[in-house]
Amino acid sequence: MKARHECQPIRHTLPPHEILGREGLERLHKASSRILSELGVEFQDEEALEILRAHGARVENGIARFEPRLVEEWVARAPRQFVQRARNPRHDVTLGGGQTIFAPVYGPPFVLDLEGRRRSSTLEDFQNFVRLASRTPVIHHTGGAIVEPTDLPVETRHLDMLLNLIRLSDKPFMGSVTSPGHAADSVAMAEILFGKDGIRERPALLALINANSPRRFDGRMLGALKVYARARQAVVITPFLLQGAMSPVTLAGALAQQNAEVLAGIVLTQMIEPGAPAVYGSFLTTIDFRSGQPIFGSPESQVGTLASAQLARHHGLPFRGGGAFTSSKLPDAQAAAESVMSLLPALTSHASFVLHAAGWLENGLVASYEKFALDCEILEAMHHWSRGLDLCDDALAMDSITEVPPGGQHLETEHTLRHFRKGFRGTGLFDYASFESWSKEGGLDARARAGSRIRELLRDDQPPPLDRATEKELASFVTRRKESPG
Amino acid sequence: MSDLQQLYTAVLDGNARASKAIVEQALAEGADPQVLVTQYMIPAMDEVGRRFESNEYFVPELLISARAMKTALQIITPLLTAKGAQPIARVAIGTVKGDLHDIGKNLVSAMLEGGGFQVLDCGVDVAAEKFIEAIKTKQANVVALSALLTTTMPMMKTTIEAFKTAGVRGQIKVIIGGAPVTQKYAEEIGADGYADNASSAVTLARSLVSK
Ligand code: B12
Repeated sequence: MKARHECQPIRHTLPPHEILGREGLERLHKASSRILSELGVEFQDEEALEILRAHGARVENGIARFEPRLVEEWVARAPRQFVQRARNPRHDVTLGGGQTIFAPVYGPPFVLDLEGRRRSSTLEDFQNFVRLASRTPVIHHTGGAIVEPTDLPVETRHLDMLLNLIRLSDKPFMGSVTSPGHAADSVAMAEILFGKDGIRERPALLALINANSPRRFDGRMLGALKVYARARQAVVITPFLLQGAMSPVTLAGALAQQNAEVLAGIVLTQMIEPGAPAVYGSFLTTIDFRSGQPIFGSPESQVGTLASAQLARHHGLPFRGGGAFTSSKLPDAQAAAESVMSLLPALTSHASFVLHAAGWLENGLVASYEKFALDCEILEAMHHWSRGLDLCDDALAMDSITEVPPGGQHLETEHTLRHFRKGFRGTGLFDYASFESWSKEGGLDARARAGSRIRELLRDDQPPPLDRATEKELASFVTRRKESPG
Repeated sequence: MSDLQQLYTAVLDGNARASKAIVEQALAEGADPQVLVTQYMIPAMDEVGRRFESNEYFVPELLISARAMKTALQIITPLLTAKGAQPIARVAIGTVKGDLHDIGKNLVSAMLEGGGFQVLDCGVDVAAEKFIEAIKTKQANVVALSALLTTTMPMMKTTIEAFKTAGVRGQIKVIIGGAPVTQKYAEEIGADGYADNASSAVTLARSLVSK
């Protein structure tokens, strides 16, 4: 097992993969500006509309329209990159600036457990996934609602989730968005952890604010957005687009709409709190027109990730996109193929924050333990991949090439001895053994090996130490809020 | 007399403008509204359903056919009601309080409409009172509840409880659905039925009202 702290976020050395030429960017940008200035975006919150109006947006019947200059001016105030703090400073992460952060799946109401049962997820599952995120080096961020603890009462569930996110992992985590009150509780708990000023200096929370597309932000989301922006916590503005249902069916139209929605949301955050951290989010996919069900892992969505990342970069914003997406019901070949296909564009486009990077199954309805381990194996390979190609003299290895005669071998050269440990070995989940040794080990497939890996990881029950006084204060806050939920 | 086969084709092709025009003209020429519905429109929707089941028709085609059906029904229903005829059933459908997901609910709604039900769409984020009003004032006899969030699923239970308190539970059938909802949950909260997709929702509703 690798040490807990060994793995760092990806720092890109290769250039980002950009698929839009100047003209393409321009066309999307123009379409998006037209949406913002002519059609506008609906904000289902009076105060948000007031703020927009007061700062120069044209507001009419709940719809705000924005002139391109206004958008540019306010989007420019959002930071290009920012640090999200973790309770262990070694786990602080930088969003933007050419780094990629991986976080687990978010939101599934079901789990596929190690006995192969698909069932409603519980607090125990939630705790297990927090532990897994904490113990897995390639996961840099604990995430938020990794699975929904459906055995807990709805009104106070977020409190237990936050408490466990803080207790069982010392990596950064996400705030609740289920209501403005829940957002306020998240902020209060982050303040207990880092102090009031501490979280204003550097955000401790990242919150997922979805647009209720097309061209609408709903009241609940705006309520949460206001709470987080005022507290200078980071928001990820994500239009969640199912092409053909919540946006045009064609990718270009979907991208134009997405861009308009994100920018509208970011303009609002900046008008509320100039300089507050905000992320350009994309969650763009297709549907199966035979049923209306979403398809996750489709090639359109992957091209969408590449283009979205480029648009975000164009606006100087950190980008959230991609994930280990799949529509498959099992951690099988389809799941692996779709996940790799969906993670790669996030990597090559230098996505800053990749939510759903491990554990996602069945269109996000299910979190799978085994898939979590399998996805981490892919992430491990991606860390390696992103290091690119070292071309220094030692890597060119002229000495070693000279030393070995024609037909000789490199296995025992001094150069090989010096370098071979740096090569990719994975986490040991993928099988590189001979047929005979593999058979001797039980002839297991990757899924079975993943199951054992998870059991192993969950056995060691040592949460990262948390200061007693802080833990007590958090616990009493939770007790208080449970007694009188606001 | 206009060619009524064209009405069948208009619904099948999802041509709302044509279905409206044909119905208007046919009625002006003295056609029996009941005949238009039972002999042309419902068979057309049955064919739409068949094509959907066999993957010839996709969701957008299903929706435009349902719209063509609905447009024609808007003209015909008042005439039928005046004559004392009743639709198969009146369904009040909505996504429960706190929940804004409506893509699935809209599909179910369109399919029910296509299946000859009169649908009262209450929208999203719907409180129990709104359903009760639909039951009391619009004589809904089926209530269809949709929820996509585990945090709003308990609202289904609350809503059913509210029906009991309001004394209307006995006069309606309650069906529920949405991705996280299960048959087991439906049984637990005392709903009358659960379906996991829009076409089984129609079959379910039919079987419940014919009981
Ligand atoms: C699209 C979507 C959205 C869109 C909704 C747009 C819209 N206009 O509906 C938007 C972006 C607004 C959204 C918002 C949110 N969402 Co959402 N969303 C989805 C998604 C991807 C697809 C839902 C969908 O439309 N499916 C397609 C339709 C056709 O399928 P369906 O709804 O299941 O309906 C079919 C059947 O279930 C059945 N059916 C449906 N209703 C009924 C009713 C009856 C009576 C019957 C018989 C049958 C029936 O028939 C339908 C047709 O076949 C699901 C994940 C998923 N894979 O399902 C998440 C999902 C439901 N959302 C989720 C979450 C968490 C949210 C947010 C809280 C996220 C956030 N941070 O903002 C918000 C909540 C907003 C709110 N208050 O409601 C979670 C819920 C998990 C949980 N723990 O409860 C899911 C599972 C995704 C995830 N893993 O995070 N979401």
